[in-house]
Amino acid sequence: MEISAMLSQLRDPMGVPFFPVVFQVLMVLTFALHIFMVNIVVGGSFMAIWSRVKGGDYNLRLSKTLAKATTVNLSVAILLGIAPLLFVQVIYDPFWYSATLMSGWWSMLFLLIIMLGFLALYVFYLKGRNGTSGGGMFGWFTLGAVLFAGVIMHMLAMQSLHPEEWVKWYAPGGVMDTSGWAFNAFSIERFLHFIVPAFINTGIFMMLYAWYFKPRSDMDGAYLDWVAGVGAKMALYAFFVQIAIGFWFLLGLPAELNFIYNPWVWIAALLALVALGMVVKAQKDPIASAPILGLLSVVAVLGMSINREVLRMKYVGVYEYSIYDYPMSMDWGSTALFLATFVAGLVVIAYPIGIAFKAGRMSAEAAKEL
Amino acid sequence: MYPLFEIPSVGGPMLIASIATFHILPSHVATGAFWMAYFIERKSINENRPELMEFLKRFTLSILIFCFVTGSLTGVGIWYSATVISPRAISGLIHNYVWGWATEWVFFIIEIVTIYVYFYTFGKVSNKTHLRIGLLYALAAWISMVIITGILGFMMTPGKWLTTGGFFDGFFNETYWPQLFTRTSMMFAIAGAYAAVVAGTLKDGGRDTIRKIAGRWGLGGIIAGALFTLWYYTKLPANALENIQQIAYTSMMLKVSLVIGVVMALYFLLLAFGKGGFVSPVVGILMMVVLFAGIGGGESVREIARRPYLIPGYMYSNQIIGHDMAAKGVSSEVEKFNSEGLLTNYPFIPEDLRVITADNYLKAGEVITKLECVACHTMEAGGRNSLADLEAGLTAAGIVTDILDDLASSYMPPFVGTEIEKRAAAAYMSDILLGGEATDADWVVNGD
Repeated sequence: MEISAMLSQLRDPMGVPFFPVVFQVLMVLTFALHIFMVNIVVGGSFMAIWSRVKGGDYNLRLSKTLAKATTVNLSVAILLGIAPLLFVQVIYDPFWYSATLMSGWWSMLFLLIIMLGFLALYVFYLKGRNGTSGGGMFGWFTLGAVLFAGVIMHMLAMQSLHPEEWVKWYAPGGVMDTSGWAFNAFSIERFLHFIVPAFINTGIFMMLYAWYFKPRSDMDGAYLDWVAGVGAKMALYAFFVQIAIGFWFLLGLPAELNFIYNPWVWIAALLALVALGMVVKAQKDPIASAPILGLLSVVAVLGMSINREVLRMKYVGVYEYSIYDYPMSMDWGSTALFLATFVAGLVVIAYPIGIAFKAGRMSAEAAKEL
Repeated sequence: MYPLFEIPSVGGPMLIASIATFHILPSHVATGAFWMAYFIERKSINENRPELMEFLKRFTLSILIFCFVTGSLTGVGIWYSATVISPRAISGLIHNYVWGWATEWVFFIIEIVTIYVYFYTFGKVSNKTHLRIGLLYALAAWISMVIITGILGFMMTPGKWLTTGGFFDGFFNETYWPQLFTRTSMMFAIAGAYAAVVAGTLKDGGRDTIRKIAGRWGLGGIIAGALFTLWYYTKLPANALENIQQIAYTSMMLKVSLVIGVVMALYFLLLAFGKGGFVSPVVGILMMVVLFAGIGGGESVREIARRPYLIPGYMYSNQIIGHDMAAKGVSSEVEKFNSEGLLTNYPFIPEDLRVITADNYLKAGEVITKLECVACHTMEAGGRNSLADLEAGLTAAGIVTDILDDLASSYMPPFVGTEIEKRAAAAYMSDILLGGEATDADWVVNGD
């Protein structure tokens, strides 16, 4: 069967309930937020373990803070991962389901490993809650679990991009492999391109932490300066590694996709240069630069996410697949329900976030008035 | 049709069922527990009982671990397991209810923000603000149930959606309200059982108060849940009720869940009004396991009652679209596959298997058999719902006449495909699964 005909046949016959571009925008946006949080989980858990192993007053305090923050960050990362997973199934259903079905056990293992990693993270956090060392083994397990889950998700994404291989992978020699253990596609440079920013973003996260607590008179200013300094250095070194990996990834892409000539690549490159300049500048006064760098890091991840989608469109475009011609079966009512809830939801969460933000920056007595 | 994923011996439905049944525990604790927490926090403030606040800290941390680790991931797990077993059904649901799920996701965001803020602001903000944040969580969590119940109900009774294709026509279906009330009641029962586990870990004064509250809330929840379940059963379509009565496994699971319901009611009664000496984490966890078994029974009934469909009136259990859906411009695939063949329309096999010959009919038969049966059956003898066991002693010709030609008269989807495909499937079952004598290739290819 011709590949473009196969993809067309695999699409859900009921069509999509709204303009496909809306799902695409939401998918890219939520993926960016998800991967940003994943970055902070990976980098945060690494730094929490590393500083706990190193020991000493500052390191153990940092480990305790990052371990606690990582429990929240991992929850948020999982939550934010649900949305792109939902939207990809709306507009790229033939790709997502074909790739996942060949690797059924891997996709189940993905969840199990995150669950175990998350439980280990709580053990790691609770063991160091009183500023003590130990529990590093649980931390390493968490980090390994999150990275392994990333490997599985990356493999599924890569398998989905190669429909020309699906039949060969699924029925080698004409015999169906229904075991669900297929593991056929992996690109180390692409994987690293999403993982190395963990150290840039975690560095910036540490700078933001110091910036946030700086106004508190009961906090140790010297400690906060140290945290921001360590974060800024880590962000800088990781940035250089990321640039090298970026070139590796870009030059290794199939030439026929002509991805390198895409304007989005150049916008992202420009953004990266600006960000690098900011990170270099931030070495002098990391705390003052933290808010702007925090914003820039989210924008940079969004840029990566847009490029990821543009690249996917190039891959699937080879087989004349375009989400923009997905048949529609409009449903205004449910679309309005979501959009209204989404806006209202943002308004609602502003309240508890505002309370937490204020309470964290105040002295215990003052916060009681909130 | 997508690639197939087969779980030998155990079967795909068991994978989904075990994850889905477990998920009900943390998900209902997540939705029910904070109404109880709000009540306890008010009591703690009004009666000046700080030990109750200590319980709430412990309760919230345990919920963060139990519900926001295992609960959230098994929730995604239901989705994943259903995807790898029945991708077209998940796709059908998502292409109708994507905005419903996305709306539920917004409430998940509110839940996660409020519960972390609630936990980390214990004793740090005013009582009024802390209570308000707890209440906000409870409301958001319950509204996520209000939303998902519409999609769950749709899978049993799609209602007017079958003719209009409208989101809300399927959402507010015949079983929506009774199911929402049942789940709302059961969330208090499950949260009560969970609170009793945490109460068992307390050493001082709060323990007795909490176990009594847990017992009362649990008892009220389980009695109301039973009444609303009766209402739910009156709304089930005739074929679902017939399935429940006729399928031995289903009627047995119904009895299991009824007995466990009574056991749990007695447990709550003792918690609420007994002396409470038995309260401990071990007893609490044991009763959660009992509850798990009861939920498993109830969920099995709900799942099997909708046979032969995944989406009643639209898609069969084996993911073949069985009926036209004019409002969405979808045609039944049955006639098409019967005339053109299933293999011709399955993209994931090599070209040389699309036409059945004397050389390839066993390989082709395997593809057809698995495409149509693996969603519910295992292949090997001794497996769960095994084809080899169900067809023991039959020849290929017998399988065609006694089973495949007669499927639609039971709670099974009809066999779909050409006559030669039917014979090839029968030959595969007879020769390979049952290990019988080689079927005559001429009979398979030419029918004589």
